[in-house]
Amino acid sequence: MKGKRVKRFSLFMIIAVLCGLMLTVPTAVIGAGKPIVIGGSLPLTGEFAETGLWIERGMRYWAEEINAKGGLLGRPVEFKIYDDQSNVGKAVTFAEKAITVDKVDLLFGGYPGTAARAVMPVAEKHKVVYVSMGGHMKSFQQGYTYSFGAPPLMGEWWYEGFFQWLATIPANQRPTRAAVYTINNPVGLSLQDSINRWTKKLNIKIVINEKYNSPLSDATSLIVKAKQMNCDILFSNGFFPDGVTTIKAAHALDYNPKAIVQGIGSVVPAWVKELGADGDFVFSGTVLHGMLNYPGNDKLNAYVKKKYKLDIYPLYFGFGYAWMQTLEQGVTGAKSLNQTKIRDWLKTHKVTTIAGPMTFDKKGLPAPINFATQIINGKVELIFPKNIRTKEPVYPKPAWKK
Amino acid sequence: MQKYRLAATAILLAMLAAFPFLEPEVYYLSFMFSVFMYVILASSWNFIGGYAGYLSFGHAAFFGIGAFATAKAASMLELSPLLTILASIPAGALAALVALIVGYPCLKIRGPYFSVVTICFAFVVELTVKNIEFLGGAEGIYLKFMDIPEKLSRSILYEVMLLLMIVTLGVAWWLGRSRLGAGLKAIRSDEEVAETMGIPTAKIKIQAFILSAFFPGIAGGLFAYYLTYIHADVVFNINISILIVLMAMFGGGGTWLGPIIGAVILTVVNEGLSTFAQAEIARIIYGALFIVVTIFMPNGIIDFFRKKGGG
Amino acid sequence: MDAVLIIQSLISGIMMGMVYALLSVGFSLTWGVMHVIHISHAAFGLLGAYLAYSLLEYFGMDPVVSAAVSVPLLFIVACGVYQLLIKPITKAKEVIVASMILTFGLAIILENVMVLIWKADPRVLTPTYASGALIVGPFYFQYPHLVGFGLSIVGITAIYLFLKKTYTGMAVRAAWQQPEAAQLYGVNLYRISMITFALAVSTAGAGGISLALLNSFEPHSHNLWLIYLFLVVIVGGVGNVIGTAIAGLLIGVITGLAMAFLPYQWVNLVTFGLLMIFLIFRPHGLFKQGV
Repeated sequence: MKGKRVKRFSLFMIIAVLCGLMLTVPTAVIGAGKPIVIGGSLPLTGEFAETGLWIERGMRYWAEEINAKGGLLGRPVEFKIYDDQSNVGKAVTFAEKAITVDKVDLLFGGYPGTAARAVMPVAEKHKVVYVSMGGHMKSFQQGYTYSFGAPPLMGEWWYEGFFQWLATIPANQRPTRAAVYTINNPVGLSLQDSINRWTKKLNIKIVINEKYNSPLSDATSLIVKAKQMNCDILFSNGFFPDGVTTIKAAHALDYNPKAIVQGIGSVVPAWVKELGADGDFVFSGTVLHGMLNYPGNDKLNAYVKKKYKLDIYPLYFGFGYAWMQTLEQGVTGAKSLNQTKIRDWLKTHKVTTIAGPMTFDKKGLPAPINFATQIINGKVELIFPKNIRTKEPVYPKPAWKK
Repeated sequence: MQKYRLAATAILLAMLAAFPFLEPEVYYLSFMFSVFMYVILASSWNFIGGYAGYLSFGHAAFFGIGAFATAKAASMLELSPLLTILASIPAGALAALVALIVGYPCLKIRGPYFSVVTICFAFVVELTVKNIEFLGGAEGIYLKFMDIPEKLSRSILYEVMLLLMIVTLGVAWWLGRSRLGAGLKAIRSDEEVAETMGIPTAKIKIQAFILSAFFPGIAGGLFAYYLTYIHADVVFNINISILIVLMAMFGGGGTWLGPIIGAVILTVVNEGLSTFAQAEIARIIYGALFIVVTIFMPNGIIDFFRKKGGG
Repeated sequence: MDAVLIIQSLISGIMMGMVYALLSVGFSLTWGVMHVIHISHAAFGLLGAYLAYSLLEYFGMDPVVSAAVSVPLLFIVACGVYQLLIKPITKAKEVIVASMILTFGLAIILENVMVLIWKADPRVLTPTYASGALIVGPFYFQYPHLVGFGLSIVGITAIYLFLKKTYTGMAVRAAWQQPEAAQLYGVNLYRISMITFALAVSTAGAGGISLALLNSFEPHSHNLWLIYLFLVVIVGGVGNVIGTAIAGLLIGVITGLAMAFLPYQWVNLVTFGLLMIFLIFRPHGLFKQGV
């Protein structure tokens, strides 16, 4: 019996020591000439790993480039990236670790929107600039002053470009009846915003307006309903898995509306690669695109072509890169790593990114940016505004090939 | 020996309580906060899962109910931060009430069938919150900041969570020695026999279930305040439910120390791995840990050391 | 309500449910026969899906044909897993608990190995008939659903016949119902367990392929699949092959009807709610005794 007690007690002590050990992990000593450390967390494993990894690649490319140019403020940059395992609680703890323990010089932006929503207050409390995609309009309305969406992934703006283009179509050729299927999460809900505004303006009647909870294991009845109600435009506001299920059902059930609009599942490279011809002609929006005539895009395209055999850089690769561009300009503009100075500089100056030039308002947002896209022959083409058009839009959508 | 152990525990707890006064970096407070949280979750789960052998796979539901009830109360009544922290207690009571209502029919179901009912229950709660805007909906709820320095705010949360952990562990200690605990253990070894022995099985199962929902509910409320923004996907995550079960079982279900050991080891190892290894490799090592420990200690860590130590 | 919508929705639901049943049947067996709750069952199913994906991509092999490759392959792998990992824990006080923790770890490992091999990007299994449908009157039978459905029927029937008609199968049943007696008659429990486990994992592979024909998949998808597994197995009754099949159908019918009658927002909630109520009234699933 005695031995058992001792054993138990010693186990207890081991744990206490373990906890103690956590404290002695040395914090990086950072001084002049030492690298500038940029820290934070991304979902590198688990549910959101795919996107998280693309963001990481974009960021690392930026670092490679700036280090080749002699660094930031004359100091090399390096990342300290934690894997939050697609867990929002961990994203918060790691942001705090980066800020308070690693004492990183800069914080980088996270993913997905729910994580960004939880990390934005952390950045605010610690007065650290946080450049990320944000968590849609709601997250920028909380009065945070250190958060920037530069550029943001703003659901509320996502179809703006598409509708502007649709408005240029003669009224008698426009769709008149819409079926709107929306995933029940912050992204989905924010996508509804522009649909509600524009359908009124363009006199399109929303015949079906339904939300669904993920997972959407089958979309047959969604399509049957849309077909029966003669909806000639389909909005599939969802992620990749439910988006794929919906599109495949639309093809199989031979549902041919004039247009299919899909945000936000169609923006990942897998959409084109995995769906092939079935993914074609889908409309969506973007804030970034490799064919935009802003400096840097060619370079990025060349890089992903060499490294990943892609014709054009994926959206989230661009996001990772663009956020770092904004941060970089904030630092060089403020000539300092003082977070408040960087913030103030960003609030008052123009930055130039691969998504174009932008200035930030009180909320930390640029003026709405959105370009309409359509997938044509397996490529994400820009279709509106006209001056950036890479290909003529295909409308109405051709019938499915049998 | 008893005195010796009590003194050691008291010293350890005093050290933990004194920790924030050393002005550690915020991260350490947050990390310990999450360790305490998982100790609370695993230990409370142990009341019903470990002692009675009713493996609930839906305990995140109670955690989430506490989180959303607190956040909703805070945003609707515009509570001050301190009151928000206090609001987590009635939120825990709400979780306990839900446990009473759900437990009544569900605890009649045994074995794996009970586990699956609890999974379904957790989904029902999660989806209800998501579908009804008033409860938080798919947008989630934002909370206000404390108007004090961040370190102080995290220190307060740390101390409150520590206090909750001490209370939970105190209750767990009492339970292990009480008639209730003995009854639950009898249920675990054979429910029919327990019944013929005159143990009011239905009643004590409900009691244990309510207790095991109450503390996670409060912890959820504190977690909501810690996160500042909560979403159903985050607090009702089935991975939390599974993790709680594994933590308790990993250490050794039905013992006082088991869930504590399991929660501490798994939280510390997971955090340590994500700091020091490449992401996928870290996960693979984490997975291998479960395998290795189970092969060498198939009855839990506590059992292993007891055998080795006590013979 | 419109009849076409209801029937179409039911058709899809039933096919989907049957695919869940194939994915679940092995899970039910290992649980029933060996008291092993095999958390990484769905991860092995996912492995089958990834194998099918690669075989299709590089050799143009149809998913059904690739099942003929991956099913035996998984059988062999599973024998190894049994010998190395499962067998050592069969002496635990509570095999169910020990097996759950161990295979949870295995699932994490498998998931991340799949990330390392196939990357984290989502995949879609697209054979030539991926978007086609057989049209009967006003009704559409999507080819991938039909193929998955067919594969499931074949798989479940095969398992059923194996247990009922073959000597080994009868030994498996005996081992479950009366382990001591079976041993007396010279049944080697370890060998039987290994075969059961390997067989279960192979059916998971076939089930994974079928499910991949319906939905896209990613390395973490097995977590979601695992939930389906638990539901189907519990509703059907642990260890019961026919029960599993019927449970799959039942869940498919519930989902199908819910999709036809309810706002989609409430479909998942109602499905889980109904299953909960079902279990409260039938606390042992559809069938009490298995195999």
